[in-house]
Amino acid sequence: MKPLNYAMLKFYTKTKEACADDVMAALEGEYSTFQAFKKDAMISAIMTAEANGLLEETRFDMDSNNELRVYYRASEDGAETINHYIQD
Amino acid sequence: MSGVSGSANMVAAAAKMKLSADFRKKGIMIALLSGLLYGFYTAFITLGMSKGVWADWYGANTAGLSAFTITFVLAALGAALNDTLSAVWALAIAAIRGRAGDFFRCLQTKPGLVMVVAALIGGPFASTCYVIGLMKAGSIVVPIAALCPVFGAILARFMFKQELTARIMLGIGICIAAAFMIGSTGLGGDAPEGMLTGIGFGLLAAFGWGFEGCVCGYGTSMIDSEIGITIRQVTSGLSNLIILVPIFGMMDSAGVDAMGLVVQGFTDGPSMFWFAISGLCAYLSFMFWYKGNSMCGAALGMSCNATFSFWGPFCCWLVMGVIFGIEGWSLAPIAWAGAVVMIAGIFVIALNPLDLLNKKETI
Repeated sequence: MKPLNYAMLKFYTKTKEACADDVMAALEGEYSTFQAFKKDAMISAIMTAEANGLLEETRFDMDSNNELRVYYRASEDGAETINHYIQD
Repeated sequence: MSGVSGSANMVAAAAKMKLSADFRKKGIMIALLSGLLYGFYTAFITLGMSKGVWADWYGANTAGLSAFTITFVLAALGAALNDTLSAVWALAIAAIRGRAGDFFRCLQTKPGLVMVVAALIGGPFASTCYVIGLMKAGSIVVPIAALCPVFGAILARFMFKQELTARIMLGIGICIAAAFMIGSTGLGGDAPEGMLTGIGFGLLAAFGWGFEGCVCGYGTSMIDSEIGITIRQVTSGLSNLIILVPIFGMMDSAGVDAMGLVVQGFTDGPSMFWFAISGLCAYLSFMFWYKGNSMCGAALGMSCNATFSFWGPFCCWLVMGVIFGIEGWSLAPIAWAGAVVMIAGIFVIALNPLDLLNKKETI
């Protein structure tokens, strides 16, 4: 089992684009019992990865609950870095 | 690649702008808080090293410790006690907040090992260089060590392709000038022989902290900052205790019993209380340092953290001087002026004046 942040980053290397809700839905099975498995913490971790060039924003919109939804993807360099440091 | 999916959605655009602005503001606040907490960590470790058995070691010295032991071994022991207790805080908080499992999982991975190496360079290596620098060259080393944001920003530019513009360099320059203003209050005729060597060690310390700040800041984009700081404090505490104190003990020609000093330090109630407080402040300060650097980049994050060069003497004055009534901790007016200059420097790094002008035009 990987640390939660690693699993989030690895998920982005295997998907076209995703928002925080998508990541949480994908990781729910393994990580829902983690205290850090919260939407705010996930958004913060994703934005930190973006600030460091691992992820890049693709688009944003409002969901059906009128909440902002921002989509990201792993940049080419970012995916290479993630795969270099974090093994499957 | 930013854009609004489907029809133009002004509400989404406004919410997105707010999210980005809030994230940046939060990063800057966290980085500034790291500087303030570093000040309290400095004050409480100084207080701890003036209580109980330490009062004798640095005062009457009935134990008959040599000058080398008092200068190097005790400095390393103080850092070891602080970092070890800080590691205990970090492990306890990680366990309470359900992150202990991820701490052990991260330790066995490449980013975890990188954090360990960076912690060794920023911990025992840089701290020792700093202490040796202080002994060789006197207090001129304090502002020299505050050059760490320069090393951090340059390393982050080359290692992680982070932004480093002329404006950012100007802002860092202003912050360093402010650190020199604050550090100048401690300058005097206290520079012994070997000043250049001491300055060299001061630069090595600045490099060590700059390296740690940029590498661990980047590292916390992969590792949760609470886990990152737990790795840092456990590494630093154990390496200080197991490697540094015994090495300094062996270097002492007077043949000091280093492990005996460690036992005395750990069993001394009056000082250990304050080391526990300083350890908690160090835990929070370093965690916010890593988190701030990862949220707003090494140049801005480390410059915000560099406010410790003001908060250090300020908190020492507050805790040692005002609260405990110990003389000799007053703050010179130039230190206050230096703090204002430093804030100006941080603004130059954080805000592009052209952006402010553009905003005015928009209004």
